[in-house]
Amino acid sequence: MLKRFSTTLVIAIAIGLLFVPFAGVSGYLIRLLAMIFFWIGKTGCWNIISGYTGYIDFGAVGYYGIGSYVTAILMSKGHVPFLLSILISGVVSGLIALPIGLPTLRLRGAYFGIATLAFAEAMKQIILEFDKTVGINFFEGPHGITLPIGPKNEFFYYIGFVVMVAVIGITYWIRRSKFGYALRAIHEAEHAAELSGVDTLRAKIKAYMISAFFLGLIGGVEAYWLTYITPHMVFDVLITIQMVVMSLLGGIGTVFGPVVGASFLTIIYELLHRDFPYTYAIIVGFIVVVVVLLMPKGIVGTLQTKLVTQKTRLTQ
Amino acid sequence: MLLFLQSLLNGILLGGIYASYSAGFSLIFGVMGVINIFHGEMVMLGAFLTYWIFTLFHIDPFLTIPFSIVSLFIFGYLVQRFVINRVVEAPPMISYILTFGIHLIISYTALWVWTADFRTVTTSYSGFNANIGGIIVPYARLATFGLALFVVVGLYILLYKSEVGRAIQATAQDKEVARLMGVNIYRIYAVTFGIGAAITGIAGSLISTYFIIFPQMGLPYTIIAFCVVVLGGMGYIPGALWGGLILGVVQSLTATYLNAGISGAFTFILLFIMLIVRPTGIVGKGIVE
Amino acid sequence: MAILEGRNLTKYYGALAAINSVDFSVEKEEILGMIGPNGAGKSTLFNVIMGVYKPDKGEVVFKGRTISGLKPHRICRMGIAKTSQIVQPFTQMSVLENVLVGGLHGKNLSFTHATLEAEEILEFVGLGGLKGMASGSITVPDRRRLELARAIATGAEIILLDENMAGLNPTEIEEVLKLLREIRNQGKTLIVVEHIMRVVMGISDRIIVLNYGEKIAEGTPSEVANNEKVIEAYLGGKVCFV
Repeated sequence: MLKRFSTTLVIAIAIGLLFVPFAGVSGYLIRLLAMIFFWIGKTGCWNIISGYTGYIDFGAVGYYGIGSYVTAILMSKGHVPFLLSILISGVVSGLIALPIGLPTLRLRGAYFGIATLAFAEAMKQIILEFDKTVGINFFEGPHGITLPIGPKNEFFYYIGFVVMVAVIGITYWIRRSKFGYALRAIHEAEHAAELSGVDTLRAKIKAYMISAFFLGLIGGVEAYWLTYITPHMVFDVLITIQMVVMSLLGGIGTVFGPVVGASFLTIIYELLHRDFPYTYAIIVGFIVVVVVLLMPKGIVGTLQTKLVTQKTRLTQ
Repeated sequence: MLLFLQSLLNGILLGGIYASYSAGFSLIFGVMGVINIFHGEMVMLGAFLTYWIFTLFHIDPFLTIPFSIVSLFIFGYLVQRFVINRVVEAPPMISYILTFGIHLIISYTALWVWTADFRTVTTSYSGFNANIGGIIVPYARLATFGLALFVVVGLYILLYKSEVGRAIQATAQDKEVARLMGVNIYRIYAVTFGIGAAITGIAGSLISTYFIIFPQMGLPYTIIAFCVVVLGGMGYIPGALWGGLILGVVQSLTATYLNAGISGAFTFILLFIMLIVRPTGIVGKGIVE
Repeated sequence: MAILEGRNLTKYYGALAAINSVDFSVEKEEILGMIGPNGAGKSTLFNVIMGVYKPDKGEVVFKGRTISGLKPHRICRMGIAKTSQIVQPFTQMSVLENVLVGGLHGKNLSFTHATLEAEEILEFVGLGGLKGMASGSITVPDRRRLELARAIATGAEIILLDENMAGLNPTEIEEVLKLLREIRNQGKTLIVVEHIMRVVMGISDRIIVLNYGEKIAEGTPSEVANNEKVIEAYLGGKVCFV
């Protein structure tokens, strides 16, 4: 019964959100909500690979940045329409994830994290220096790329909404599927999973590529929204860090963890970043430390465990 | 030809520095299995400590080194004792995330307090070079290189010839047995971290004499330390020398013959390839989980 | 024809051969025991069969098909499963879900089918009452059964038991032996590695003995028990005559 109540609640909130732009609220609120949607989307992507499999990806921003650049180049130089551009961005990112994922997902524990971090930083450097090194004018290096001017915030609000629903929806679907069980088994005891018939490499790659696809797509959308991108902006490791923290805070591996974590942290960011730009990062750092030491399952995770223990207590 | 030799020499000198601040990283991983993402911040702290003492009290940078040693040892000891020790038993991922958080706290607090301005430590002898057959050897760099080697060798001696060092090694090899022999492994962890921090601090102090320093400089150094240590073998101290030299030379040569920016990309590409092809390092003595 | 054969299997760790030119064969519905002092290579042999290691020399043949070099999950899906010495349940999942993974991925069943089978298997091994419990919180003997249940769920025709009974008391051992006999009666083949002599002698149709990576004896339990080489290998070695 609790489940049916919460499902109805979620749907009600979702429908409500659809009507917000018509309710005459301030443009500021629309922009804030849109930001939250995109962060939920990004965090959800990170959660699909790292939350489920336990392979902590520290290079997620790499795919986001790739997506940003693909869309930026397609739209500004190729005059490709927006929707097609972001789809191509997603596909390109997803495909790049294959040769990157195949070797790195065989690495254990923290080595995967380092390798992916190296990948993201390498991408940033490559985009920065490619033109100068090869002698052409394509990525524009540190000058950045300017995209055609986009529509108002309401447009991005709805795109963000759709993306968010898609990512969370996929996260939810995965959890209840064979694929989800494979990922969770990999997280708990990878060797035992392999011995029980789980094609561990394939499952990991699949999760990684799905995550990369959506990150690339989101990168493309946000590039259009930002209208101007540079490598430092879209390959910023702080973006990955925020995905990690939002997931951690909300609850790694849970479906709604990203929603809680992203909402919470984005609001804090909004409150702080104008007047206290560095304080936000410091607070994020403290949240990481506190969560890791005191609440490793995050908000949603800890709540879920409490509910389960209650249920077991009741049925005994 | 001269250009090549100059570039090579620069690379070697650079490599020595890299080795000096990567040794601590290797030590911490080797003993505790902790990958320390705020490692670069300890370099930064050492550098800034030297900067402030030099700027405010006009003490020669090389003489500020004892301050770095003491301050950073205490810092490292306390962080390990009160924070990281609580997660050493957990999977390495957890300590990875935790140290990431600490990285954020330190680097952004530094940014807040000291602002993003670039700073340098310029002494009266900063510009003096030796000129050997057309190849320029800056004295300051040479001295730094020498000190760096001294640090690495010193660490090695500490680990293999001292009581504390032996306890550290015992803990690293088999902490259960070490425990049974009466070693307080949590204290050893704290001491190890302190030592790792102290030598990194020394490196930071040295670096301030000829690199630009700024609060956000940490992360690139951490990544270089990763690269050096993976090249040389995680947890294998002498490997830090190999890794440092290789990386230093690669960077120097690509900076000379391609351009400075792309040499940064090479670090990551090299790191990436090493992790996949030979995670135990060039000499093959690294620890892989 | 033997359902599983190993021909000239050799695996090196550095310069040392963990197993050296080992030949063996198992018939369908046979219970083969494998004994040998610690370090004799029993676990290595199991790992080579399961595809965890690729043999440096020799091959593993299952139902006439060479499987050495295939990945463990492929070999599992083909019909061989292994329990581990150090039990590894999926701790955050329930007992039922643990077995479910085996059915979903080892046997490629649908959710409904896999769930039904998982429940049956849990009843069969005696864990029916615990199916909803978190697998991280059940006792060690129960975890051993869970490993076994998960292995059965993968649809395995051959189950390799790697010291599945270590640390159990005599009553618990008897129960497991009964279970193993029933599993064999259902058409499965078992290879059992144990240090407890009474167990291996009692349940095996045949036994092979490894020492220092080589097979030193093979035969019925009584043949092996009276074999000089075997006795020599064990004198001074660890033997449990419970």
